[in-house]
Amino acid sequence: MLKVQNLTKKFAGKDALKGVSFNVRRGEIYGLLGHNGAGKSTTLGIILSMVAAEKGEVFIGGISVLKSPQKALRKVGSIFEAPAFYDYMSGWDNLKVLVGLSGRFDKNAAKEVVERVGLTDRIHSDVGAYSHGMRQRLALAQALLPEPEILLLDEPTDGLDPEGIKWFRDFILGLREERGMTVLFNSHLLSEVEQMCDRVAIIRAGELVYEGAVAELRDDRPGVKFQVEPPEILEQVTSNFGGEKMTGDRWVFPEDTEISSVVRSLIEEGAEVSEVTPVRRSLEDVYLEHSSLSKP
Amino acid sequence: MMFLRQLRGELKKLFARKRTYIGYVVFLIFEALLLSLWVYVGRAQFEDLAERNFIPVELLSSSLTATYWIMGFSMFLLGSIYFALVAGDIVAKETEDGNMRMVLSRPVSRLRILVLKYCAVIIYTVTFVIFVGLTGYGMALFAMGSEGGLFVWNPEMYILAVYPDRDEAFQRLFTGACFMGLSMCVVTSLGFFFSCLKIKPAAASVMALSVFFIDFVLQNIPFLANHKDIFITFRMANWIYVLQENIPWERIVESYSILMGLCVSLFILGWMVFQSRDFKT
Repeated sequence: MLKVQNLTKKFAGKDALKGVSFNVRRGEIYGLLGHNGAGKSTTLGIILSMVAAEKGEVFIGGISVLKSPQKALRKVGSIFEAPAFYDYMSGWDNLKVLVGLSGRFDKNAAKEVVERVGLTDRIHSDVGAYSHGMRQRLALAQALLPEPEILLLDEPTDGLDPEGIKWFRDFILGLREERGMTVLFNSHLLSEVEQMCDRVAIIRAGELVYEGAVAELRDDRPGVKFQVEPPEILEQVTSNFGGEKMTGDRWVFPEDTEISSVVRSLIEEGAEVSEVTPVRRSLEDVYLEHSSLSKP
Repeated sequence: MMFLRQLRGELKKLFARKRTYIGYVVFLIFEALLLSLWVYVGRAQFEDLAERNFIPVELLSSSLTATYWIMGFSMFLLGSIYFALVAGDIVAKETEDGNMRMVLSRPVSRLRILVLKYCAVIIYTVTFVIFVGLTGYGMALFAMGSEGGLFVWNPEMYILAVYPDRDEAFQRLFTGACFMGLSMCVVTSLGFFFSCLKIKPAAASVMALSVFFIDFVLQNIPFLANHKDIFITFRMANWIYVLQENIPWERIVESYSILMGLCVSLFILGWMVFQSRDFKT
């Protein structure tokens, strides 16, 4: 549904994106994770034709965004972090103006969507009086008009209260369930990505450093946590076994390593081992490992 | 049809903002003030002047002549501020507020977005000038009655004309107001151009006004008097030739061709800058 190929972009001579490529399949919820400034919003900007790429291509439903941006964007609905509406106009007028840019404004379809996002009672009030949550609902309504095939969400739950976040998540999951909606979800909120996405890509300093299924990320590299005195012996022994220290004092070893052998070696070296705990790798660990600037 | 619907949306945005009406309110107050000064202070002096120069008093002391003075005196200096303010905001404010990202995420070309915005500010400009003319005339009618023709005097443009017939006078003045509206589109185009650059809305308005006033000051420097034709503000003032007894159409067409060329050039330059810009948070 969405094919991003080798995107390269520089801002003021500094690399913002370095050959970013990924594919989002039809009906999939795909998470793009990264620190602030990692390049997520630039990627989204290029997909939406708001930012010009120096190299690369983007296809939405097989249509090139660079060659036919208007045609490609007909399939897209998007929501940005802190969506900016015309505060001095009502929610309904905002919808009319924004949706009108895509073509005909269908009143009935709009009423239906407004009802679905739960804004019917306030849709004729000025947006200036809306809470952040209501703005986000209005953003969702405008993104769903007229019927998109793919939703691009840029940090959509930022600033929402827990109830709002849950509502938003359920709404997006519901859309996928009912309409088979494809979603690209930009976020730095790991829990959101973990709960919503099928696959995830981690972007760091303009480079895609990881891509895989969320389920794989959690389980593919189990590790161990040790409580050892003195800790220097732990470093020495684990390195003999090819161990690698990860975030959160988690050690991972080559697949055929027997942890009992490591413990035995520690004791033989004179260490006092008080605790050995198997640790499942969380998405957070993966994210930190891949996005940490100090550890490429 | 879709373009008209989108233009209606653009006008809705423009006219839903309170600051769009600042100019209207200020002009209404200013017109009332000017008219009061005319009735209570200026009228007697002008009547005296008319008698000494054998000009029929009813021509000078008419609602149409008062309207001419109001428009002629106020529009260039005061009107330009509001045109620069509204046009300077039209792109830059939406960019600053983040609305532009919402707009650009729609399947619509940047050129179309700018054409819509430009049309909206041009409509604002022309209708504003006509509004000032009509409200000025309405107030003058209320204060001075409907009798009398039109007396036009502008020594800088070498114009002295008298229209005793009220219908002809009204027609001339209305045509003049339309041409003045076209002239003011230059200030609007300047504001629009600067609004397309990566600068704050206030900076766009100030830049447009700076260019306008620098041109105006240069035009009035005595040693440049023989080169007035090269200044935008002089060309803009050519609307007044519509009030000359024998209208010099050749000169008017020439001036307005230059002004329209300038407006189109400013639009194209603004578009080129806007097209090449990246829009990111």
